[in-house]
Amino acid sequence: MTESIPPKDEKQPRDAAFWAQRVERLEVSDVPDGASNVNVHGRREVGALQGFGQLWQKTYRVRLAGVEVTPGETVRVWKERFPELQPQNSRFYPSMAGVAPGEVLFISATVGGMPVHTGVRVIYADDESFTVMTPEGHPESGWNTFSAHADEDGTTVAQIQSLARANDPIYEIGFRVVGATEQERLWMHVLKSLSANFGVNEPVSLEKTCVDPKVQWSQIRNVWHNAGARSMVYTMMAPLRWRRARSRR
Amino acid sequence: MAVKHFEAEVRREPKGAVLDLRGEINGFAQGTLDAAYAEAEKENPGAILLNFEGVDYINSTGIALIVGLLARARATKRDLSAYGLSEHYVEIFNITRLSDFMGVFPDEESALYGTVVK
Repeated sequence: MTESIPPKDEKQPRDAAFWAQRVERLEVSDVPDGASNVNVHGRREVGALQGFGQLWQKTYRVRLAGVEVTPGETVRVWKERFPELQPQNSRFYPSMAGVAPGEVLFISATVGGMPVHTGVRVIYADDESFTVMTPEGHPESGWNTFSAHADEDGTTVAQIQSLARANDPIYEIGFRVVGATEQERLWMHVLKSLSANFGVNEPVSLEKTCVDPKVQWSQIRNVWHNAGARSMVYTMMAPLRWRRARSRR
Repeated sequence: MAVKHFEAEVRREPKGAVLDLRGEINGFAQGTLDAAYAEAEKENPGAILLNFEGVDYINSTGIALIVGLLARARATKRDLSAYGLSEHYVEIFNITRLSDFMGVFPDEESALYGTVVK
C-alpha cells in the first residue's frame, strides 16, 4: 500500500543503525549446532497485522530491586545469555553474531510433547532493548520487545512486551485452550531467570490487553506454513533421511 | 536517562483529522499518542492521518504503538494513513509490514486525496 517514497532526504536518524535491513524472505546459511532450519529458510516475516487470531498485547515486568544495575547492563546480559534464560522445553539457538539487527534466532520447542522447529529474526536492537519478529509458520504472528528502563525511584525494570496474534486457526485454538497460559509461563520464566542472574527474587507482573478481538479469516491459509505440523512431519521422516544419507555414503 | 520528548496535536481538515507528531516515538510517547488519537476520534472522522514530518526517532516500541492505533482504526472501520515519513521510516514501515495495512503518502495533500472518506 506504499504510495511512493517521500522526497525527504535528510541525514539518517540516530535509530538507523538499530534496525535490520529489509528482506523479502529469510535466508540462512549457517545453522547453529542443534538447531533446525526446517521452518525458517525461505519464510517471510509476519507482523502483528498478518496473523489469524485475536491480537494481544502482553507486558511482563520484573523490578530488579536492591541491586545496582543499569538498564543498559541488564539488556547487555540479556542479549548475551538469551538462550540460557529459556525453560528446558524452549531452546533458542542464536547465530555467531548473537542478538544483533538482522540475525536469526532458531527455536526448537516442545509443545504438548510435540517438537516445533521455528525461529525469529532480530529486527531492532539498541543498548536498552531488542525486538524479534516471527516468520510464517511460527505459532505467533508479531513481535516481542525485550527492554529495560529505570522506574520513578531509579530501580531498573526488565520488561517483555509481546504484540502478536496466533498465526493460523490451529494455533488460535491451541492458544485459547492452553497455549496462552504456557506462553505466559515461558516469558515469566525468562524474567525470573534474568532477575535471578542479578541475585533478585521479585514477582513478575503481567498486564494483557486484547487489542483486536476479531479473528482475520482472510489469513486462514497461513495454516499451510504451520511449523508444528511441518515439524511433526519432519520428525517422522527422520529415519528415511537417515537411511538415504547412509545409502549415499 | 535522556529526555524523551514527544508531542501530538490534532487538526481538523474537511476530509479527516490530522495528528501532527513531533519528537521521538518510543515507549514514553504512549500516553500522549493515545490521548491525541482519542481526541482525533471524537468527531468520528472517516479518516485519520498521522503526520510524521516532525518525527526524528522511532524505535520498535514506537512501531508497536502505531500498530495499536492501526488496530483501533480497523476496529472502528476508520482509515488510518501516514505521510511525511523519511525514506528511512518508509523502510521501517516495510520491514515491520505496517505498510501492508496502512497507506503511506509523501505529503498531506496526497494523503487526503488518496484517503477514502467514509
